[in-house]
Amino acid sequence: MRRLLLMGITVIGMVTVVFFLLRAIPGDPATYMLGDYATEEAVAALKADLGLDRPVHEQYLTFVGRALTGDMGNSVVTGQPAFQEVLSSLPWSAALATSGIVIAVLVGVPLGVLSAVRQGTFADLFVMLGALVGISFPVFWVGLVCILLFAHEIRLFPALGASSSEDLLTQLHHLALPALVLGFSVAAYIARLTRSAMLEVLGQDFVRVARAMGISETRIVYWLALRNALIPVLAVIGVTFAWSLGSAILVEAVFSRPGLGSMILKAVFARDYQLVQAGVFVLAFAVVLVNTTLDIVYGLVDPRVSVT
Amino acid sequence: MKTRTNGRLALTRRSALFLSAATLLSVGLGLASPRADAATELRVRIGSDIGNLDPARIFGIENQTVAGHLYNGLVKYDQATNEVVPDLASEWSVSPDGKRWTFKLRDGVTWHKGYGPLTADDVKFSLERVLDPNTKSRYAGQLEGITSVEAADPLTVVVNLAAPNAGLLNKLTAFNQGWVVSRKAVTEIGDEKYAMNPVGTGPFVFDSWTAGSQAVIVANKDYFEGAPKVDSVVFRIIKDETAAAIALENAEIDIFFALQSPPVIDRLKKSDAVKVLSRPANHTINLVLNTTVGPLGDVRVRKAIAHGINREALIAGYFKGTKGTAYSVLTSSFPQYTESVPKYEYDPQKAKALLAEAGAEGFMLELVSVGLSPYDQLVVPMASDLEKIGLKTKITVLERGAYLQARGKGEIMTCITGVVGPPDPDSPLVTLYHTKSFPPGLNTSRYDQVDDLLAQASAELDEDKRTGIYRQVLSKTMEDVPVLPLYADQLFLAHTNKVKGLVQNSLFTVHVYSVSFSQ
Repeated sequence: MRRLLLMGITVIGMVTVVFFLLRAIPGDPATYMLGDYATEEAVAALKADLGLDRPVHEQYLTFVGRALTGDMGNSVVTGQPAFQEVLSSLPWSAALATSGIVIAVLVGVPLGVLSAVRQGTFADLFVMLGALVGISFPVFWVGLVCILLFAHEIRLFPALGASSSEDLLTQLHHLALPALVLGFSVAAYIARLTRSAMLEVLGQDFVRVARAMGISETRIVYWLALRNALIPVLAVIGVTFAWSLGSAILVEAVFSRPGLGSMILKAVFARDYQLVQAGVFVLAFAVVLVNTTLDIVYGLVDPRVSVT
Repeated sequence: MKTRTNGRLALTRRSALFLSAATLLSVGLGLASPRADAATELRVRIGSDIGNLDPARIFGIENQTVAGHLYNGLVKYDQATNEVVPDLASEWSVSPDGKRWTFKLRDGVTWHKGYGPLTADDVKFSLERVLDPNTKSRYAGQLEGITSVEAADPLTVVVNLAAPNAGLLNKLTAFNQGWVVSRKAVTEIGDEKYAMNPVGTGPFVFDSWTAGSQAVIVANKDYFEGAPKVDSVVFRIIKDETAAAIALENAEIDIFFALQSPPVIDRLKKSDAVKVLSRPANHTINLVLNTTVGPLGDVRVRKAIAHGINREALIAGYFKGTKGTAYSVLTSSFPQYTESVPKYEYDPQKAKALLAEAGAEGFMLELVSVGLSPYDQLVVPMASDLEKIGLKTKITVLERGAYLQARGKGEIMTCITGVVGPPDPDSPLVTLYHTKSFPPGLNTSRYDQVDDLLAQASAELDEDKRTGIYRQVLSKTMEDVPVLPLYADQLFLAHTNKVKGLVQNSLFTVHVYSVSFSQ
């Protein structure tokens, strides 16, 4: 119950901050819609239509009142319900973020464990070098190189990272390359983190005791150490998932995919307040939801954490 | 007990991982993608999303490109020659005093989606809707001077003017305010919803829009000039030009619209799988000098700036020759184009001398640009050139919304403006030089010396004499240089070898009615 309340407060807080920040930046939707030849009267009239001529706190109250009934307003540019427009790009973002994270975990965790167990060997050096590359190379550059390599030189994947086809296989085929690129950059973080967490756990007393008791090394590494090391890794996965949902803009841009991040960015440029607000609401909600779920998962993985 | 629970948990997690791995593997193996039969689906790249297809409010080349397939005007520009030719009106005539224009509509034109036949009343509705202040159309100014529109009979429209306007047809061509909408459709759908539910008479019918991804239009089999040769057109949003180029080479798209990046143009020109088309645009990109701020009021200072910026180096270097030289703000795609105007070759010595003569050495010139490529990059070599003639420079790059606001206030020293539009000489000339174009508008140089000439041109019904007057405007404005044309824009399109019959226009849109696929 307390958690639900906290979730609500966080989401409302985010949307409120965005509401006021948006109105503080120069430019407004009326000027954008009417263009360069708009008279002051025309701009004023459109602002009145949009309710932008009223004091900001009044606008806020109206916004909250409507939002409570589930109405986030209409996009100024397209005239379509903002919430609906946002929801239409959510599946694209969710698919990319989820597949990216799955790849990242599948690649990052084993490699992290490997380099921790083989600390100081050639394998460790190789993995850590790879991780450094993954972290330091900008994702749009990696994306472009991948398109050139895997969509042009070796025609394994399409250059466009999204397809309107109904066919699931075709869709997955289009999703694969962007997911791999996003997954690679996230895997780099996860590998590094898993490695350092593993090293820390492996150096602890209970591991030494376990070794002294003659428990097999495989069992120590995978059952004892990894389980303990996974806790900080889980935290990072949560944060990264949230990050990928909204901030995969560069991946979306390179691979021509629609998504929440690109949509909010476009809306900010057009000063499409309703669309930005609806987008931030959905994003904040998703982030809070994922993190709350993870908090509960910690409790399951780690008995030391209790969730109230 | 505890171990068993752990074991089960671990197993569940492991099997979940297994499942995902299996899925990913099947994807990773790169199963040959069953490409949809593209025989009659034409895929066109656009650079950013569409958002409003209502002719009264439309803006942006992507919206205009899609809308161009949905609507007709009374008249239209021939894609190849830019001549004004019949569209919905089969013929027209002007009264001797030049104030009464009568248009005869084609018979048998019908609206998409069952909205009935096109009538003169729809034309009346369309024009009056743009003029009505309640519509808040951004194009009301384009139709100023129209006092009334009459639907004399179902197929006859009469447009009455306050004063003769030789350029009226240019305002009624199939573009923006010239696109005709259906009274019934707009009224029934409602203004707000209409933006993404357009109804026209054109060769294609609007089908669907997926935000951030694509828009689809389908062939209008009943189109009055005959059904299009493709069944549907998908406008696919691909932001990155390099990705779009690869998609084109891979035949994932058929037409690459708004090709601009010089390295990508270079790359595609070398490819055997595609053809690159190019054509001079209707617009130049200009440095607008605000004549009300400090030393910029002195014509010698403005001339010094014109001599001080190495525009040829900009074209040859930064743009790798993909842009043309601009002698005035009218490009070679206009019939009124001329090169007999005062010219400003790159000459730093002359520039310095002019500055010294004006006593304006070393003043601070602020170069303001919008944060969009290439403009935010162009200002850098310009500033460096101007430093060489002894000016101090400051570069300010603003995000689009902030830039429009700053430019709208008219207080910034300079800005970079291009007037993208139809081949109507009034479009750049009135917009950049007439006093009625600020405020609001783009005459941010506050130039006020050619109002009379522009009025004369408008009243002159003799085409040759009218051209002569426009050329005088060009000479005068290039002598005074309130606006320095930096380069003449050049438009590029690319398409796969399979695409036949694509005609490039100079409007910065693409129109695919004439396109078919070769087998």
